[in-house]
Amino acid sequence: MREYLKETLIELCCAYTIISVVGAITNFIYGSETSNANVIIMFVFCAIAVFVLSLHKILIRFSPLVMIIIQFFVSLGLCCAVVFALSFIEPVTPRGWFEFLRSFLIVYVLGAGFYYYRVFADAKKQNDLIEQIQKDHQDRQ
Amino acid sequence: MKLNLYEDKNNTDERVDVYYSNMRPVIRQLIDTVNSDRPKLKGRPADEDLDDGDQILLDPKQIYYLDHVERKLFAYTRDGVYRIMDTLSSCEEILWNYGFVRVSKSNLINIYKITQLKPDLNMKVYASFDNGERICINRSYKKSFTEYLQRMRRMSE
Repeated sequence: MREYLKETLIELCCAYTIISVVGAITNFIYGSETSNANVIIMFVFCAIAVFVLSLHKILIRFSPLVMIIIQFFVSLGLCCAVVFALSFIEPVTPRGWFEFLRSFLIVYVLGAGFYYYRVFADAKKQNDLIEQIQKDHQDRQ
Repeated sequence: MKLNLYEDKNNTDERVDVYYSNMRPVIRQLIDTVNSDRPKLKGRPADEDLDDGDQILLDPKQIYYLDHVERKLFAYTRDGVYRIMDTLSSCEEILWNYGFVRVSKSNLINIYKITQLKPDLNMKVYASFDNGERICINRSYKKSFTEYLQRMRRMSE
């Protein structure tokens, strides 16, 4: 458990650093500013993403596709709950909900697509390695 | 690898000298052959009708994969299925140099018998064998499987 927490915290630190730096660069380019509330929401979303992705060890019995779908609904549910809770402090307009869902979906679909590509690319690499090993083995015999 | 054979009818001290750069699987196999202890797995036909009580020695070359089911270990060959009286982890240790790698909690596969690795639409990757069977490569073993292939590739060069 201690090891899991340590690993998760390191991942959270790395993810949040990357996102905040990218956010700062984007703000710098477009001349916009991020509010304190946004910074906190970004951190909470990062924590949710890291936590949900770390669940893959528990979901090992499921196929990767099922795992991705489960993680999608868990993370979407948690993020929606955070936005809903925040809406009591600062109202969220229907347009705000739409933007939130769109941002969430784009990142998730891109990530899932990359994972899907990696599965096929890795299998191809492994196939090439097996072919070479078998060829060397046959040449020796 | 260069092979020199010297025939001397009067030689009373037959010997094999091996000059190697590193201990590759092929060298290990050569040593095992000279020492006459090339690993053989003792098994009995899994089908009780075919089991006459005698143990059969299985050469690793014959085996496609080992499957651990309900605390029993089975070896799958082209000709049939054999019950092995050993543990999966000890087989893994013995057969490491002979192309066997762990791909899940209960499977050890022979990479020389794989015809293709193919991912399914659900992203599970399966190793297909020329007998038509296929074994799922568990994603928690993916890294160690790739490392094993890379090591075997380096060693076979």
